[in-house]
Amino acid sequence: MYFKRFEKMEPLVGWAVSAKSLWLIASLVCLLGLPKLSTAQSLENTPNSVLVAQTALAKSVVEEPSNQVIDVGVLAIRGYKATINRWQPLMGWLETQIPNSYFRLHPLSLDELAKGVETQGLDFVITNPGQSVLLARQYSLSWVATLRSPLNNGAAMQVGSALVVRADSPYHTLNDLKGRRLGIVSKNAFGGYLTLVYEAQLKGIDLPRFVGEIIPLGFPLDNLIYRLDDNKTATDLKQQLDAAVVPVCQLEQMQTEGLINIERHRVLDNQAPKGFDCQVSTRLYPNWSMAKTSRASQPLAKSVTQALLALPEGHPAAKAADSVGWTTAVSQLAIDQLLKDLNMHPLQAPWWQRAWQWVKLHQQWAWLVLGILVLLNVYHFWLEYRFSRRGRELISTQRQLNENRALLEHAQRIAIAGELGASLSHELNQPLAAIGHYCHGAEVRLQRGTSPEELQSVLALIQQEVTRADSIISRLRNLLKKRPVSKQPLYLHELVNDTVPLLAYEFEQHQINLAVNVSGEAYLQPLDEVGMQQLLLNLLKNAADACIQRQALEQSASEANPRDDSKSYSPSIDIDLRYQEHKTLLTITDNGTGLTEEASLLMQAFYSTKSEGLGLGLVICRDIAESHGGTFNLESAIGGGCQAQIAIPRKS
Amino acid sequence: MSLELPVYLIDDDDSVRRSLRFMLESYGLKITDFDSAEAFFTGVDLTLPGCVLVDVRMPGLSGPQLHLELVAKNSPLAVIYLTGHGDVPMAVDAFKLGAVDFFQKPADGAKLADAVVKSLEYAKVHHQDNQYLATYQALTPREREILNLIAQGLKNQEIADSLCIAMRTVEIHRANLMKGMQVGSLAEMMLIYSRIAEHLRLE
Repeated sequence: MYFKRFEKMEPLVGWAVSAKSLWLIASLVCLLGLPKLSTAQSLENTPNSVLVAQTALAKSVVEEPSNQVIDVGVLAIRGYKATINRWQPLMGWLETQIPNSYFRLHPLSLDELAKGVETQGLDFVITNPGQSVLLARQYSLSWVATLRSPLNNGAAMQVGSALVVRADSPYHTLNDLKGRRLGIVSKNAFGGYLTLVYEAQLKGIDLPRFVGEIIPLGFPLDNLIYRLDDNKTATDLKQQLDAAVVPVCQLEQMQTEGLINIERHRVLDNQAPKGFDCQVSTRLYPNWSMAKTSRASQPLAKSVTQALLALPEGHPAAKAADSVGWTTAVSQLAIDQLLKDLNMHPLQAPWWQRAWQWVKLHQQWAWLVLGILVLLNVYHFWLEYRFSRRGRELISTQRQLNENRALLEHAQRIAIAGELGASLSHELNQPLAAIGHYCHGAEVRLQRGTSPEELQSVLALIQQEVTRADSIISRLRNLLKKRPVSKQPLYLHELVNDTVPLLAYEFEQHQINLAVNVSGEAYLQPLDEVGMQQLLLNLLKNAADACIQRQALEQSASEANPRDDSKSYSPSIDIDLRYQEHKTLLTITDNGTGLTEEASLLMQAFYSTKSEGLGLGLVICRDIAESHGGTFNLESAIGGGCQAQIAIPRKS
Repeated sequence: MSLELPVYLIDDDDSVRRSLRFMLESYGLKITDFDSAEAFFTGVDLTLPGCVLVDVRMPGLSGPQLHLELVAKNSPLAVIYLTGHGDVPMAVDAFKLGAVDFFQKPADGAKLADAVVKSLEYAKVHHQDNQYLATYQALTPREREILNLIAQGLKNQEIADSLCIAMRTVEIHRANLMKGMQVGSLAEMMLIYSRIAEHLRLE
């Protein structure tokens, strides 16, 4: 009954668990959201190199008041020196085109460039397309010109990624790089990384998860190629790269500069369009562009644009920048698309910001959700409280149940003792009778002149009988004692042999043949002595009752039909005990009336087929067998009668 | 005198049997004990007088079954029942069969000894009756006829007349009767006849 109640409660457990997890998620959201906000604030207040550069600029303005100082930030992808070499000639060209101007070049990293724009430390920026879109959507930037590539008939589409592996490596497509180590310049690098991620995404590959590890090495880009080449000689496994991502034409440029031998490298998934001289693993995006920030004046922007467009193809300033001059700014749509799909577009606020905005917008719903969460939580704790209370109740009920069961067992043992009454009184009477006889005999002999010395042996005989009576009484007392269940190592067959005599008289009285057969190698096992005895007595008594009942039936049948004495009934009970390797098997078979009801019905408490029965015998038998970790079975025996079997697993 | 006769003690419980034997021997009885009815039947001549003390309940043949066997064989052995606990219907059955007494264990020694002595007397008489009966059955039919008439108080002449034989013949038969029955006087012969008459009527 109690177990059923418990089962019903299980779905509630599920509820409580889910409520709990919801609450956890909600609190996690709160915890995660707060630090984001605080870091954003701290960033704004942090001084950085651009600010330092700004103060330096202010000083220079004081020093050279005649010249208009124009600060140009440029993304330094190949280190400070290379950047100066690349762009300083252009600064020179601009200074010649715009009178009284001084163009100051600032090679900056991606973050520094963004910071410079934000703090209005720069007038113009020259950067790669990814960066340019990121900047343009966050700050007020207007594009003035795009660089023309010398390699592709002067096209403005010049940016993409080359996925480079060593020529002798086993990799042939991006798909071969699963679980490998990929070297990149930075996770924000457009040409050097994002274009490839996007390309992979179009193929259905989530690149950061697909490859084993992504190692950002930072600028300059040359390092990536050197590291890829050093792979074989690198002793530290962590330093090894399987592939590297570089911006398009990086390889070819290094080849031209004589830094590497291009034959030793391969570019995977080359999809360079016709006439494009560099190998490229992705589609191409617009080239580097120049933009004006809000600090630069409109007339200045106009003159700079004119100067850029006027730059002749073969001018050293164009050549230094690996270009054939400048053209008008091209559309950044493809880049917008890419950033959007990669979820990196500056106009796409991070999901938590969007969530926060939604919350602000729909406050009533947010409060509702919060309210539900709180309610769920309260409900959860309330359930938990009820649970623990119910649990305690359950435990106390179980304890009480155990106590009641012990009482019932005791009651049933007393009932057995009552049923054993005749047998017991006979058992006890025998030694008492013997003692009486010895005493009387001795008395008579003394009166008739026998010397007391001659009668001494009688005292020993009397003592024997006293011992016998005592053992019977203690056996009974043991059975009737209320006791905690305790198991001691015992031999089951000894227990059987001890118990059978309690019923011997009954068997004898009804001429029931009892056979005890023990087979297998006996071993000690922990047994509840009294419980087992009770079990044996119950089963033997049942067997005897069934035999007696059948005896009476046969007798009345033969009286009704006296001639038919062909089959005379001889009641018998067999106890078969088998010590097996893993269990002990005790089988009690009788040839009595057999089972009149289903065994399962007979094993219900308070169900009895006997008029004076308590209906507890078999229930207790099953309980006792189960308390030994065993099983109790009742079935009809072959050829009538009933067979009870107890299997007790062997415990080491 | 009758203490010389054997007392047979049959009980399957060793300690009870031994203690009973010890007690009864102290009264000077001659005890032979058996642990089962079967052992008793193989070891005892049932035609001789004696007393049987038998436990009612035993494995194998029970006390009443043993008693029935004795009755069937018209044994002179007298039967006394011993039982563990009183069983009135069984006692009634026992007396119907002709048991001398019925004792519940533990039996009072003096009473049991008295009962045994009494039963031995009874057995002795029963044995003698058996012997007289055997003697009677050894007589010729004519001799039995004449004995019957003598017992009715007829004189020799009257017997000769009723049987249509000579007076002399009756006298010879009468002498043979006295010899066959081993008696010295008519009175003695009549005493024996009265003892067996009861059995004769039963037959």
